[in-house]
Amino acid sequence: MIFSIDRADLLRSLNHVQSVVERRNTIPILANVKMVVANGVLSLSTTDMDLEINESVVAQIEKDGATTAPAVTLHDIVRKFPEGSVVKITLDSSGNFMTVEAGRSNFRLSCLPVEDFPQLGQDELPTGFSIPATDLRALIDRTKFAMSTEETRYYLNGIYLHSTESNGVAVLRAVATDGHRLAQFDMPLPEGAQDMPEIIVPRKAIGEIRKLIDEAADTINISLSKNKIQFAFDHVVLTTKLIDGTFPDYTRVIPVGNDKIIEVDPKIFTDAIDRVSTISDGKSRALKITLNGKTMTLSANSPEAGSATEDIEVSSDITDIEIGFNARYLLDITSLVDGEGCRISLADSASPTIIQDTGDSSSLYVIMPLRV
Amino acid sequence: MFIRHLPDHLVNQIAAGEVIERPAAAVKELVENSIDAGATRIDIDIREGGKSLISVRDNGQGMDKDDLVACLDRHATSKLLNDDLLAIDTLGFRGEAMPSIGAISRLSLSTHAKHRDDAWEITIEGGVKSEPLPTSHPEGTTVTIKDLFFATPARLKFLKSDQAEYSAVKDTVIRLALASPHIGFRLMNNGKNVISLPPSEVALFECQLERVGQIIGRDFADNAMMIEAEREGIKLTGFAGLPTLHRGNAQHQYLFVNGRPVKDKLLGGAMRAGYMDVLARDRYPMAVLFVSLSQKDVDVNVHPAKTEVRFKDPAIVRGLIVSALRHAIQKEGHQTSSTVSHYALGRLQQNKQEQMNSPQAPALPWARSSSGGSSYGNLAEKSYAFYEPVPSARHEYAPDDQQQEHLTHPLGAARAQLHECYIVAQTEKGMVVVDQHAAHERLVYEKFKAQMEEGKGCIESQGLLSPEIITLEDTVISKILAQADNLKKLGLVIESFGKDAIAVQAMPVLLLGKANPQKLIQDLVDEIEEHGDITGLEERINAVLSTMACHGSVRSGRRLTIEEMNALLRQMEQTPLSGQCNHGRPTYIELSLTEIESLFGRH
Repeated sequence: MIFSIDRADLLRSLNHVQSVVERRNTIPILANVKMVVANGVLSLSTTDMDLEINESVVAQIEKDGATTAPAVTLHDIVRKFPEGSVVKITLDSSGNFMTVEAGRSNFRLSCLPVEDFPQLGQDELPTGFSIPATDLRALIDRTKFAMSTEETRYYLNGIYLHSTESNGVAVLRAVATDGHRLAQFDMPLPEGAQDMPEIIVPRKAIGEIRKLIDEAADTINISLSKNKIQFAFDHVVLTTKLIDGTFPDYTRVIPVGNDKIIEVDPKIFTDAIDRVSTISDGKSRALKITLNGKTMTLSANSPEAGSATEDIEVSSDITDIEIGFNARYLLDITSLVDGEGCRISLADSASPTIIQDTGDSSSLYVIMPLRV
Repeated sequence: MFIRHLPDHLVNQIAAGEVIERPAAAVKELVENSIDAGATRIDIDIREGGKSLISVRDNGQGMDKDDLVACLDRHATSKLLNDDLLAIDTLGFRGEAMPSIGAISRLSLSTHAKHRDDAWEITIEGGVKSEPLPTSHPEGTTVTIKDLFFATPARLKFLKSDQAEYSAVKDTVIRLALASPHIGFRLMNNGKNVISLPPSEVALFECQLERVGQIIGRDFADNAMMIEAEREGIKLTGFAGLPTLHRGNAQHQYLFVNGRPVKDKLLGGAMRAGYMDVLARDRYPMAVLFVSLSQKDVDVNVHPAKTEVRFKDPAIVRGLIVSALRHAIQKEGHQTSSTVSHYALGRLQQNKQEQMNSPQAPALPWARSSSGGSSYGNLAEKSYAFYEPVPSARHEYAPDDQQQEHLTHPLGAARAQLHECYIVAQTEKGMVVVDQHAAHERLVYEKFKAQMEEGKGCIESQGLLSPEIITLEDTVISKILAQADNLKKLGLVIESFGKDAIAVQAMPVLLLGKANPQKLIQDLVDEIEEHGDITGLEERINAVLSTMACHGSVRSGRRLTIEEMNALLRQMEQTPLSGQCNHGRPTYIELSLTEIESLFGRH
């Protein structure tokens, strides 16, 4: 295996694939990137056994071949080469070492045989559809904050995707919850997704795919089965196993009879929460909201730091309700509401509260109050 | 007819199986008899761990000839005068011990009743009584048991080694001796004196402390907090060790109920709750506690060996112990145990010894050139080393009058900071070395706790979108639900959910992401089962506070000015429990001037 490649091209691709590699591994080869050179392309893959990412990049190839080399080290080396340099990589005849050269620098890295590199397995992915990158970005951004990190309820550690109907329109719906808040996002059901199984995409894959599609082309091709989902765009293919579990019946926790409606400018609301919650430190995260007709009072109290209040104008006719929220949770949600108005639907101070964008019914957020 | 009455000797052997399980039990029965007989001296002599010989001699009231014969009959006793099992004021009452022991060993009893001039002896071997014979014996009674268990070979086979049986006997004697400081005790094992405690003649409280010191050790007596509390007719007295005095097991926790040594798991739980967050979970405090309460409120007739008792209201007793311990710790908690400074002194002295014994460093070659120069050269070098400034120690002087004022405080005036970690302070009586990180951590932690307490009365609690359903045994559900109000104050909201589950509706905000409800509830349930009370949730919340305190406190390695150091010392004096960090390690050690002088051999 002998090839040359522009530093910038190699660095961008390595950058994409190396973040899948876990820093601490019990299986040494999982720290490596698989490099296959054939048909004029260099293809790079990494995996953590659950998630696999593959990227192809054009290179000047002298001799085909394949090997695996330490991903993080290789990435660091290429990163430190001067800009504009050409990197030449040569695998020695024994297959145990690979030289990486640029200008007058020369590195020798030990390699592991490519045959030992684990494969996720090529099963059938019967469902296939494509969605615009902007929609996928929105879908992830609007829901990922609510994913759980708790190990015991592993089925909450991801985004639940399924096809359903909303007001008679077929939609692809994403839901995430950690038991304290819930986020739901609907988008028109893409062609070909009608019969898709209900799936839970794990949080690590969500994080990786979100990073990659920042600079992605217009359309993302998605194919999936009951066990796997694959995202393909440009020269990148990301495949991940799905969480093997049943997502709880989330519709039960979305309240229907919340009749106390408040509308507020989301920007003003977010800024006010942000300011007032400065006072709630690590021990206390409570933000109290008191409603009195057109005035909403936000207050926070910390025995150490002191207290804060701020009044903002809202449109509502509710008086005498007092409700507490975790300021962090509230901020996560209101900062996502980017329309003209933010609608808050309350029942009482101990029941779940709904927050929505008045002009955009695609997202819906549920938050459980704090009892203080 | 298939059913027949068992012969007497068999009945006695069966009873013996319950009452006398090992030599220590026989010793306990005999010593208790002596105590009940009003003895002021009790001499115990055992051989081979009590297997071949147990002899207990007292100077109590003794028995006359008729009593001597009667005492070997089943359920014959001089105690329990008003035949009321609810009012037991003696250690024994069952009338079972003597015939039981007699049934399984070769027992001889010599006695001389007070105010009479005859002494009698009787023997019983494997349950066969001899006629009483006149003998000579001073006032009191001697019981000698030879070949215990010879009539029940199965039991004999299952006895432990001599050494193990001996330590069980010793433990028994210690427990009884702790409860009766006015009685002199002596225990001989294989002819060697192992315990020798003269009867104490001072007032009750002091003699208790004296006895405690003799038995558990001076360390304990010197570092014991006095416990005295009373609630609803239940009186608690005794001694508990300072939090910095702790052990690796619960062996040195003694509980006495109406003078009777008992082993009750209530004590362990109460001790743990009392010492909560001044002691690491795997360390055990030391304590000797005496509970006295009306005989009607406690049932001692639970087990033939009488090491268990049942309280009419265990919650009150537990609450009393916990609050008394906490109160004492609050009051004394700014102190560290003197064992800590003794340990430090021990280390210093060791080092000194080593230095003296170490061979002299070879002198530099030039110093050898003239005779006598060698030692001179050495000396010069040594003293130079002493005067060389220690690079990481630094000291600053604050204005003198201020320092003078600081000197009068218990922790004195800060003089220097060593290794950016330890504050050295001068007090009127000596010096104090403070671990700045541990001390500040405790201060911050105590502040957090105080804020928590005064705060809003209850802790913030995050509601759950869908309640967490936790399946439990139906027997524990009612117990944990009975605690629901207490748990709610700490932010954990639970409700009943069907007959074999509970629903967690809300979790304390502080524990979010740190505890999983399933495991938390299971742990709390286990705790209720074991101790009948819940401290686990509070402990967990405190643990989170403690981590926050750790992050929010002055680290080792931070340079402090004299003013900062003095401020830290003053805060420590005002903060309860500042004598130890959250894990029971001392935050400071104190060396008195005399101790320092003794290091230098100046007295």
